[in-house]
Amino acid sequence: MTTPATDDLDLFADELLVDPYPAYARLRELGDVVHLPTNDVYALTGYDAIRSALGDWETYSSAGAIGFNPMVNEALTGTSLSSDPPVHTQLRATLSENLSPRALRGLKDTIETKADALVADLVERGSFEAIDELARELPLEVVADLIGFTGHVRANMLRWGQAAMQVIGPLNQRTAESFPIAGELYGWCSTVTAVELAPGSVGRGIFDAEVRGEIPPGSAGHIIHQYLGAGIDTTIAALGNVIALFAAHPDQLAAVRSDPALVPAAFNEALRFWAPVHAWGRRTTREVTIDGAVVPEGAQVAILFGAGNRDPRHYDRPDEFLVERNPVDHLSFGYGPHGCAGQGLARLEVHAVIASLAKRVSRLSVGDAVRVPSNITRSIEELPVLEVVPA
Amino acid sequence: MRLVLDRPRCEGHGLCEEAAPSLMHLDDDGELVLDVPEVADADTAVAQAAVRVCPVAALRLS
Repeated sequence: MTTPATDDLDLFADELLVDPYPAYARLRELGDVVHLPTNDVYALTGYDAIRSALGDWETYSSAGAIGFNPMVNEALTGTSLSSDPPVHTQLRATLSENLSPRALRGLKDTIETKADALVADLVERGSFEAIDELARELPLEVVADLIGFTGHVRANMLRWGQAAMQVIGPLNQRTAESFPIAGELYGWCSTVTAVELAPGSVGRGIFDAEVRGEIPPGSAGHIIHQYLGAGIDTTIAALGNVIALFAAHPDQLAAVRSDPALVPAAFNEALRFWAPVHAWGRRTTREVTIDGAVVPEGAQVAILFGAGNRDPRHYDRPDEFLVERNPVDHLSFGYGPHGCAGQGLARLEVHAVIASLAKRVSRLSVGDAVRVPSNITRSIEELPVLEVVPA
Repeated sequence: MRLVLDRPRCEGHGLCEEAAPSLMHLDDDGELVLDVPEVADADTAVAQAAVRVCPVAALRLS
């Protein structure tokens, strides 16, 4: 047994956040766990180490540990994200009650219709900005309708959603600038009442459940907060990535065009290839040995989903984008008790866009993608589609 | 081998059904039904695949 390898990189440095994959590869070669004194974390880099940690909440606690600064961990206290069983079990059930695939079945047709109308219009125009006009447009509309937001709340969803993820990072300038904006979201969720949400919406239903005593008093606002905080920025990242990857790999778009059954596989591979979430925290509840290296009890852990997703010990030719590999066990939604609660909704949205693109587009020609460093969500900020070759 | 479902944890993502349609399915309410909970040796690999893809680790083999 040894101590983990150490590296002096900063996980949240600008250039690393824009393209983390060279750093992921270097860290993975150092070991399945690498101590990063700059961030005071133990980074998990290998596929098996990450998957095991995600499945083992007793050793890798989420309580007060998912963020990389004490303020955000304090703010998230009492949410399912930031708790362990048995408390987590009840909070998670309440959160997923309206978000599980069985709850969302009625939305499938609506989302597919919206996505297809959006894509059809953009294809017709022939050139467009893919992030604002597609990757952001669909999730903002879907989540706004789901929760029943109207007015200024709807206008604020994008910046609130971005800030809610940004503040999970360490106390750097990005986090400091985002806290006041994340606070606006938190403040609104703390004071919103049922009548402000559209009748018949899921959001309204959550408040009605609180009034009926089916969920604990005060929890409705928390749930809305998590829908907004977790469900916007990440889905936007995934959609933007899908569009950019299809533009860069026309043969892969052609594969989905010739076999539409590959739509889910294409989403799995896009999630594996470019993970929307860079790093997520846990804290060890005991001394734990990972690949022969000892991590002390009470250590802050940083799970690097994207590093595990490119682990050559798990995926053959990991640096190639190949939809037919259908990596159903990719790590980008996490895994286990804290596995992404919104993944069913994300699948509905992204599958709808991929299916529509495959139906309507034979080739996308794009300009340079603009990426802006962001602490937790890795997404494309701008992606000009210069020309669409229609199907 | 026997398939064991942690029902409160199951959210009906349905990936297990895609991996092992001969052993389980989602019913009309989106609830998972284990059609063949006692897994024959010939089906072990398929059952293991279903367990592996559950995104919330609600399914196991014992």
